[in-house]
Parts: sequence; C-alpha cells; structure tokens
Amino acid sequence: MREILQTFLNISGGFFVCYMVGYASFLFLSVTVGSASLYGAKRRNLLKNELTRDYYVPVSVIVPAHNESVTIEATIRSLLTLHYRAYEIIVVDDGSTDDTARIVQEAFHMIRVNRPIRRRLPCQMTEAVYETRSCSVPLTLIRKRNGGKADALNMGINASRYPYFLCMDADSVLQYDSLEKIVRPVLEDDSVVAVGGAVRPCNGAEIQDGRVIRYRMPRQILACMQVLEYDRSFLATRILFDKFNGSIIISGAFGLFKKSVVIDAGGYNASTVGEDMELVMKLHVFCRDHGIPYRIRYATEAICWTQVPEKLSDLCKQRRRWHIGLFQSMTYHRKMITDFKYGLIGLISYCYFLLYELLSPYIEIFGVLTMGLALAIGYLNVPFMIMYMGIYVAYSAILSLTAFFARVHTIDLKLSLGDVVKAVGLCVLEVSCLRFVMAWVRVTALKGYSKRKLSWGQIERKQINFNSSGEKRT
Amino acid sequence: MLLYGYGLVCMSMLAFNIVYLFGLKKKNTRLEKSQDRFAAKVNCQLERIQNGQPVENRHMSYLRRRLTHVGNLIAFDKLLTERLEGKHNAAASEYLRQIQPLILYLAVVYRDRSDMQAAFYCYFLSKHREKRHMAVDTVQDILVGFMDKESLYCRVNALQALYRFGDPEHIAAAVSLLDQKGRFFHEKLLTDGLLTFTGDHGRLIALLLEQFDGFSNLTKLAILNYIRFQSGDYCPWMMGILEDSGSDKELRLAAVRYFGRYIYEPAKPALIALTVDKDPLRWEYASVAASSLAGYKGDDVVDALMAAVYSSNWYVRGNAAASLDAHHLSYADLAEIMGGNDRYVREMMMYYLELRSITQESREATS
Repeated sequence: MREILQTFLNISGGFFVCYMVGYASFLFLSVTVGSASLYGAKRRNLLKNELTRDYYVPVSVIVPAHNESVTIEATIRSLLTLHYRAYEIIVVDDGSTDDTARIVQEAFHMIRVNRPIRRRLPCQMTEAVYETRSCSVPLTLIRKRNGGKADALNMGINASRYPYFLCMDADSVLQYDSLEKIVRPVLEDDSVVAVGGAVRPCNGAEIQDGRVIRYRMPRQILACMQVLEYDRSFLATRILFDKFNGSIIISGAFGLFKKSVVIDAGGYNASTVGEDMELVMKLHVFCRDHGIPYRIRYATEAICWTQVPEKLSDLCKQRRRWHIGLFQSMTYHRKMITDFKYGLIGLISYCYFLLYELLSPYIEIFGVLTMGLALAIGYLNVPFMIMYMGIYVAYSAILSLTAFFARVHTIDLKLSLGDVVKAVGLCVLEVSCLRFVMAWVRVTALKGYSKRKLSWGQIERKQINFNSSGEKRT
Repeated sequence: MLLYGYGLVCMSMLAFNIVYLFGLKKKNTRLEKSQDRFAAKVNCQLERIQNGQPVENRHMSYLRRRLTHVGNLIAFDKLLTERLEGKHNAAASEYLRQIQPLILYLAVVYRDRSDMQAAFYCYFLSKHREKRHMAVDTVQDILVGFMDKESLYCRVNALQALYRFGDPEHIAAAVSLLDQKGRFFHEKLLTDGLLTFTGDHGRLIALLLEQFDGFSNLTKLAILNYIRFQSGDYCPWMMGILEDSGSDKELRLAAVRYFGRYIYEPAKPALIALTVDKDPLRWEYASVAASSLAGYKGDDVVDALMAAVYSSNWYVRGNAAASLDAHHLSYADLAEIMGGNDRYVREMMMYYLELRSITQESREATS
C-alpha cells in the first residue's frame, strides 16, 4: 500500500513540476511581453505615434442594469462627460426590483415614447422606452422583463443606432478619453471586429468628470489585493494573446464590438453568465468558419474604472459567477481545442484557460491534499517544500508587482510611498492566501450550477462619488 | 536545479522591473533638464525679440545641432507649447516665425530616421508651422514621400503637416501616392483629415477630381464624403455618380447622401425613384434616398415617402417616417397612416411625431 502511495505521489510530483514550470514560464513570458508592450506604447505616445484626433466613428454605449439604483445616475453622468464626437447612451433596465428606472427617468427628465425596436437578436419583451433630448448626447432608457445580462445587452444592441457598440457595467466609470482610445484599433485596421479595454479597480481613486484626480490604493485589504490581481491578469493574458489575435475574453465591463458581425454571429448567449467570454469565442468561431478576415484587439490605453467587491462574501459571489461563465464558455466552444482550423487560439489561448483557469482550482486543491497525504506517510521533504513554496510565492509576488508598476507608470498614476509599501506587502498575501481562498470558491462554484447559472448575482454597491454634469449647457 | 532556475527567473524579473523603473525616471529627468536648458536659451531670445532684435545666428546654430536628437525635439516641443500659451505669447509667436527655416531644415534630417521619429517630426511640424511663412516645396515633397512609410502614424502625421501648409497640389500628390501604395488607410482618417486642410478647398477638390477615376473605391469614397461636408458646389458632378448604375454601391450611396445635404431639384426624380423602388436587393438605396428626401418639397416627395413608409424593410420604413416628420405634416395629412391597419407603420410614425415634441420641449426648456 505504501509503495502504491509513493508511486502515486511520485507521479503527482512530476505532474506538479510540469504544471508549475508551464505556468511560471507562461507568466514570465506574458508579463515580460506585456510590460514591454506597455512601455513601448508609452514611448509611441511620447513620440506622438498615435491617432490624436477624435475621428468620426459613432458608438452606441450600452449599459445593462439590474438593481443598480445606487450607482446608475453617477454612471450615466460620467458617460455624458466623455470626450467623443458621436455617441449615444442606451440604459437597459433588466427587470429591476428597485428604483433603477425611476431614478434615471427623474434625473434626466426622460419621457416615455412608443419607440419600435427591431428585434434582430432574441431578448425579453420591452415594457417601456424613455428618451430625452435634454442631455448633451441622446439618452434612451429601456425597461424590459428580466432575462439576465446577456439578454439586456441583446436588447441594447437591437435598439442601438450606430455601427459599433460598447458594452459596460452599470457600476463602472469610463475614463474621459476611453471612447476615443478604444476606437483607435478600428481606424488602424478595418478587419477589427472587437476591442477590449483595460479595466482597473476604482476603489480608492478620486474621479472627476472621468479623470482621475487622485489615485490611492484602496483602504480595504481585499480591494487592494484585487488591484494587484487585475493588473497581473490583464498583463498576463490580454496583451500576450493580443499579439497573435488570440484573445478569447473581453471584459463585460468594457468592450467595443462591430454590431453587424455580432448580430450575424447571433449576439450574446442568454443561457450563460459568462456572456462576455462566450461572445468573443463565438466571434472567433463565426469568423473562422465563414472565412471572414478579422482581428480582436486589446486597447491598453482605453481605461474603465470599476468597483471591485470589498466584502469577501461579495467577492466569492462574483468569482463563482465568473467560474460558471468560464465553464459554460469553454464547454460551448470545446471544438476550438480539437479543430486545427482555430490555430493558436485553440492551442495556446484555449489550453491556457482550460489548464490554468478552469481546472487550476481543482489542481491546486488536489496539490494541497497530496501534500497532506505525503506529510501523513512521512514522504514529504518539509524544508524542500517550504523553500519551494517560498520561491513560488516570491516569484508570483514579483510578477504581480512588475505588472502593477508597469500599469501604474504607463498611465501616469502617482503613487505615495505608503501605497508602494502596501502593494509590496499585500502581493505576498494575495499570492499565498487569497489565491487559495479563491481556488476553493471556484472548486465549489459549479455546485448548484443549474440553479444559479442565469443569475445576475447581487453585490453590494457603493455610491460612485465624482462631480460632473452631463446636462445640456444653455 | 529547478529551484535555482526559479530563483534566477525571480531575480531577472526583479532586475527587469528595477531597470525599467530607473530607466523611465532617468528619461523623464533628462527630458526635464533638456527642457530647462532650452528654456534658458529661448528666454534670452524672447527678451531680444521684445527689444526689437532678431533671433541670434548663434542660437539658430545651437538649435540646428540640438534638435537633430529626437529627445531634444520633444523637450523643445513642450517648451514652445508652454511659451505660446503663456503670457509672452506674442514674442513667442515671433520667435517661432523666425526659427521657421530651421524647423523646415529638420525635415531633411528626420527623413532618414525611423518611422517613429519621422512621425514625431511631422507632428512637431504640423503643430509649430507658422502660417505666415511661405511654404517650401522641398519640405512638402519630403512629407509627400512619407506616404510610402510603413507606419500609419507617420503617414497620418505627415498628412496633418501638409494640411497645415495649405498647398492643394501637395495634398493631391500625397493622396495619390497613398492610394497607389495600397496600404490600409481608413477612409474616415482621410475624410476628417482633408476637412482640416487650411488652404483653398475649391482648388484641392478640383485637383482630386482630376485624378478621381484612377483612385481606388476606398479613396473615392473618402473624397466624396469630404466634398459632401465641404461644399455644395458639385451637384451636377455628383449627379453623374448617382445616375451611373455601373458605379460602386457605396459611391452611389455617398452621392445620394450628398443630395440630402444639398437640395438639388434635378436630383429629386432620381431620389424619388430610388425611394419607391421595392426591389429588396436595393433596400440601401431606398433607405438612404428616403432619408435624403427630408429636405425636398412637393406632393410628389410626400407621395413617395407615404409609399416608402409601407416598405417591408425596417430601415426604409424608419427613414421614410423620419422624412415625413421633417415635412411637418399635420395629423390630418397623416390620417391614412395613423388610422390605417398597418401597426408597424403606425408605430414608426407615432414615434417620430413623439420625438419631434420631445425635441421641441427640450428646445423651449433650454431657450
């Protein structure tokens, strides 16, 4: 029996070495490439190698909202201050049970209209449409039956008037120049069908009229750790994958899409909570299956500020939802890994998300259990294990910090010494503790999957505080 | 062994991070120092100008030496921008006028540099080009030559500089070269750029139209859109495109849009014919033509729109309803639609009528 266990532990050990070497190499490569890209972009900006003018590419901004009464007004006001020539805002109230719709109506003097909406994508029935001409840009509010975020986005696409649409979350704030910057890849390359923007946690930041006037690391430890985590993951997957048109996720909080292609591909899938990832994978499949030349790009300089959960329970809810979404998207498009037609997307992007995102919590928990077993039978070299773990933590922490500082410096945010100390201290905690907590949450995410698979999932929101006025000036 | 490997990677990442940060800091410091050095020299020259003296030759030689380095050019650009916006902007403008020969000389230097540096020089030139100073053909020829560059930004910035020179011949040459090289250049970049041209638009349009037939459809479309936003003097010529059934669809649609912006009675029958065309394959023409008819008067127009509003195509129906609304017809005039059995048509019309009242209310509230 002992020999069997030892053989099992040897095989497991070999597997974990390969797994960790693969992950470490990938992370090293992606953070290096990502950082170099960010610094390269900064140099290009310094030398004005950018489209500095605001060109005429009209965009419909779609804001799906479900029980967002706390943040919705501030979000719309921030959208009204965007520096962009031609855009409209469409707020889709997805059957909220709170005052979301009433707040929008009253704050922006909206009037009910009998607007016909062409249902090119399937979605729940419209209950009422409101419009106003008292704002600086056209603003539409659509109240509809509850159908989930994807359903609300489909409704927004149906109602949109412009050839490109931008999806965002109702608790997010777009930086004043974000539209101008997210549109640039479209002007640089006609085959671009989708562009992802950079999402940064706004907890701790002071934002006025879409501009960060003071940046601080959040006071809450949990939010602080998520800042590091966001930067690492954005640098790790987004920029590297962008190099070979391999991005298979664009955050639902900030993404620009070519409407005609999205409609032809069938729009958002209302049967998934990971609608953002599912849509991007669907676009890859659709364009490749139909021989359409396409590019899915990532605009590092287009920034959206979003609230991250400050309570562990909220964070767990969010991550559970993300994991279910990941599972659904990977399952729907599993042919990507078996069909060579998908090239590097299947070989690298899909495999990465499968091994290091979807299966990683199970592998990590399995690793912990294996260590426990090895310890129990006296097969564990404890000093070696401690050194191994120490190096793993140091390595991950350094990569997190590299990503964090690269992002902070390239968007010209000034950090206080306290914030630097906080980042250095918390990156270790994030890698050694939060990561394992989140692994456990993700392991249990699929429990009760069928019940929760379409739920928006309520997370406690805080009022976004910034001064702006989107009302039309007289 | 593996642990050592990991440790090495850790250390290299740390070194990478530190080197980058220090490199960045050093670069910023160098930029600031360079800017300070220029500031001291430029301030002396500004004082001279305020005392009625010209810029010293020694200063010109200094700039000629220093500005060949792109880092210095960045610092100088920042300084000029600050000074031109500052309280001594009159002296700064005069200073800028006097150093124009030097700025133009730099074109020769940056022509052979990397695309990135050449792009920055073009940006610098477009920003600090003094309007009163005569255009220099050699410099403009160099800028036209940049249309052959791989970098999109270099081509865009060079065009910006050319727009600022205001010489139509060189712009036409640049557009021609851009088109010949066949590198992707979004038509919106060209249209929006041409609209910022600071010279004689009439002459530029004439030159572009001379070569029009030789351009690709993408360039043709950009030029047509530019003409649409710039001038209403080309109706007869646009009519030719509109009536040429062999012409590219997007070009003909651009012509239809042109006649929506500029009312041209001879185009009315063609627009009406396109609007009432029920061929589902030509719905785009019907849709855009219905929209363009908004500004045309007459019973024949209203009749065509009344017919188009019953189209099975959503966009034709919507645009026809919007155009009917623009004719400010009374409810009685629209009785046939509003009291009719076609719910889709009724709803569409109703929506535009509501929209009109919302817009009016909003105008009243703001006035």
